[in-house]
Amino acid sequence: MSEWALSLHDLVKDFDGKRAVDHISFTVKRGEILGLLGPNGAGKTTTIRMVMDIIAPDAGRVEILGEGLSEKVKDRIGFLPEERGLYRKLKVMDTLLFFGELKGMKAAAARERGRRLLEQFQLAGYEEKKVEELSKGMAQKLQFITTILHDPELLILDEPFSGLDPLNIELIQGIILERRRKGTTIIYSTHLMEYAEKTVDSLVMIDQGRKVLDGTLAAVKAEYGRKFIRLQYEGDARFVAGLPYVRSSRDSGREMEIELEDLSKREQLLRDLLGRVTVNGFQLSEPSLQNIFIRKVREGAGA
Amino acid sequence: MNKLFAVIKKEYKTIVKKKSFIIMTILTPVLMAGMMVVPVLLMKVDRSDKKIAVADYAGGYIQALSAGPAKKGAKPKGKLDMDAMNEMPELPGRISFHPVQLGGRDAAGLLREYEQKVLKKEIDGLLLIPADVKSRRQVSYYSTSISDFTTLNFIESTLRTAISRQLLLERQIDPAVVDEATREISMETFKVKKEGTTKSDSGMDYMMSLFMIIILFMILINYGQIIMRGVLEEKTSRISELLISSARATHIFYGKLLGIGLAGLTQVALWILLAVILVSRFSGMVDAAILSFLTPEIAFYFVIFFILGFFIYAIPYAFIGAAVNTDQEAQQFASVLSVLIIVPYILGISALQNPNSTLTLVASLFPLFTPILMFMRITTAVPPLWQILASIGLCVLTIWGLAWLGAKIFRVGMLMYGKKPSLGEMLRWVRYK
Ligand SMILES: Nc1ncnc2c1ncn2[C@@H]1O[C@H](COP(=O)(O)OP(=O)(O)O)[C@@H](O)[C@H]1O
Ligand SMILES: [Mg+2]
Repeated sequence: MSEWALSLHDLVKDFDGKRAVDHISFTVKRGEILGLLGPNGAGKTTTIRMVMDIIAPDAGRVEILGEGLSEKVKDRIGFLPEERGLYRKLKVMDTLLFFGELKGMKAAAARERGRRLLEQFQLAGYEEKKVEELSKGMAQKLQFITTILHDPELLILDEPFSGLDPLNIELIQGIILERRRKGTTIIYSTHLMEYAEKTVDSLVMIDQGRKVLDGTLAAVKAEYGRKFIRLQYEGDARFVAGLPYVRSSRDSGREMEIELEDLSKREQLLRDLLGRVTVNGFQLSEPSLQNIFIRKVREGAGA
Repeated sequence: MNKLFAVIKKEYKTIVKKKSFIIMTILTPVLMAGMMVVPVLLMKVDRSDKKIAVADYAGGYIQALSAGPAKKGAKPKGKLDMDAMNEMPELPGRISFHPVQLGGRDAAGLLREYEQKVLKKEIDGLLLIPADVKSRRQVSYYSTSISDFTTLNFIESTLRTAISRQLLLERQIDPAVVDEATREISMETFKVKKEGTTKSDSGMDYMMSLFMIIILFMILINYGQIIMRGVLEEKTSRISELLISSARATHIFYGKLLGIGLAGLTQVALWILLAVILVSRFSGMVDAAILSFLTPEIAFYFVIFFILGFFIYAIPYAFIGAAVNTDQEAQQFASVLSVLIIVPYILGISALQNPNSTLTLVASLFPLFTPILMFMRITTAVPPLWQILASIGLCVLTIWGLAWLGAKIFRVGMLMYGKKPSLGEMLRWVRYK
């Protein structure tokens, strides 16, 4: 059994001459949560669709659970498409039975597990309701249940939090973490990077179809993290941008995010600040993934 | 394979549980029964009661008229109440004969008085039976309507029989022989076909044929539209992505066709069952021609051509569902397709009159037209078996090709969002793995 649950090799996809996915490669380790991050239109969904064999790549190949995407392998994957959809006229339990059987489950097993999951998602008692009678949030939860009903080894979730209220986001995040503890490999895409920050083990950032960054969360943060100082101040601090050991700075008037060439220069900076401005706060800070992304994209554009 | 069955099961259950399915299943045979019974009822209503005054100068004929003509010979077989129905056309509605008190008046005087009564509609007619009717064989009938042949025939044949009886009895002939000699004759019409001659009534045949074809036409369009909407729903709701990422596209496509086809077949089977029950329960009220039309053979061919027609039309309907993006577009294409289904129907109406023409033969072998046209021919003048088998064979080949093509178009079309595909693009889909 290979170490990788999923590996993408040089995937390319064009739509009407426009490149949506541009030579993307990455691998996902078994048992980890990988966040596929990027703004809207970056190519996340297109990448996932190619992985799921919904659209064919123009070039490149995908290896999933050690092979191509055969019928057998499909049964071991749980997929939550970006655009949700269930049969509106079908009853909740019939929906679970159908998708369970479509994933190779026996009807009895699907019914049994479906019941338990409905309970866990506070949908017990809705078994005989039609999908169209559910609220949008409930339908989203039901869709999530169909995704994990057959206890897949690999979960691929496209924007799992979109359209959910904070309580349900928490619920889904809880389920994702619970599944990881049980050894499921999870890949999810999101354009909301603050959610990723809390759960992912590794991440792949893409922008305009290109991969801009990947690695474990710890490594990414270590690379970018400790060189930042967050300063709260009063006075005129424009001189900071000109200091030789300051690599970049972002001034918001009363707060400034300063990137140092080297973290050891932080005492030097504090000394230079004292007397020229009133210092209200001075902390080492980790930039958010959002910040890292923006920096990365700028670097790419500058280069 | 289990996935194929999962799809079949889901599609089947979804349709069979629908209210419209249950309503249609029950309502259609009821309508059908109505169609069969109404003409018979109409005939009854049409023959309104008639009051005829009889001036019987000869004497004794009024009793004969009120008794009606001599009974026909017993029919070979058949149920009793069916016989009663068969005699319906010979029986004049309810005619009541009223003796005129002659009181010594002559015919001319009587006539003046009764002409007024006829005009005022107090009576429907006056029948004058002169004293010498036995030798002259001449009676006169006065009425505002003299085109009611049933009534006229009835009077004529009753009087003829009565006179014959009298003449024979006067000559001391054994009354049993007289009864035998004056028995009525009935005539049945038969259609001569190569496969064998059957009893039939051409008018009813035509009606029944037309009627069954309308039903076939309706269910083919109905089930085609069900498939089209189903595919379109999966596409617009993006359920297609879940389906394709769980099972093979061919399994989903064939599962869908088979599931919906089975639901249609269930409906047809229920109809046949209900028809059998209705006809046997109320056979007394159904025209004999209909009973002779609804043979097991016709039911068998109805099922066969429903199945063939279902696949031949359902697959193109599924294409449409997969290729378009909105209900409106789907309806546009669907109306083009329904024209294709209407063509054999229109051809068929002329075929009903001339079921053995070359045009009809060729058209009925064309697979898109076969389900309706060949069935139509079978209901009117059974074509040679080789033609039936050839048409079925061609249909099966066509279905095979369509199914192969359909699975491919389905696979790609289902996942193509946004823009309308061009014809060239659709051709490229076919080559897609
Ligand atoms: N079916 C399609 N036809 C044409 N263009 C598409 C299609 N799907 C995606 N695109 C384009 O590809 C790019 C990437 O889209 P997508 O993968 O959906 O991004 P993301 O999921 O990261 O928001 C976008 O510019 C989008 O317009
Ligand atoms: Mg997306």
